[in-house]
Amino acid sequence: MKNNLKALRAEKNWSQAALGRELDISRQSVNAIETGRYDPSLPLAFKIARLFELRIEDIFQDDIKNP
Amino acid sequence: MKPALAHKRYRQRIMGSALGYLGAVFGVSFLHDSFTDGSIFALLISAIPAAFIIVMLWAVWRFLGDMDEVAHHDNIHAMIEALLIILAFTGGWGLIELFNDDFPRLPIFFVFPGFFIIYGLIAGFKYKRCV
Repeated sequence: MKNNLKALRAEKNWSQAALGRELDISRQSVNAIETGRYDPSLPLAFKIARLFELRIEDIFQDDIKNP
Repeated sequence: MKPALAHKRYRQRIMGSALGYLGAVFGVSFLHDSFTDGSIFALLISAIPAAFIIVMLWAVWRFLGDMDEVAHHDNIHAMIEALLIILAFTGGWGLIELFNDDFPRLPIFFVFPGFFIIYGLIAGFKYKRCV
């Protein structure tokens, strides 16, 4: 799954640590999500979406091409 | 839970139980010559350090529940990988022991530190990738 979390974070001028504090996760965990090494659970995805006032699909995109 | 708080609680629990474990091991070693091997008393005294091992395992269990979901995922994976490695090693060693009388006997005790050393190395490697 792709995501534009890094760009959204940059818009807010937040560091990974600052975003981690907002989400109650570690800086390393923010890094893992941004780099696509870990896909967040639905509750965490909703939390991220609420934080940026966006829909989940505006942040996370399925990288499987539509048939 | 905040990751910093989860780490702080884990450090407190694991350090407390590790100190208790060391104290119990030294205590039992000190008393070892004063009781008869195989007696009920000897068995009970020898098992005291095991109580601290259980506390250490409980601390790890609580930490797994307290950490955030990404760290939880990575640590569970590290544990499964460590378990598979330790199973392969002990299974292989055990078979060689069974068929070769002269092969050195490895006490089952070493499964515990062996597992945690391998788990720690794998978890550390996974953590390093995120730094």
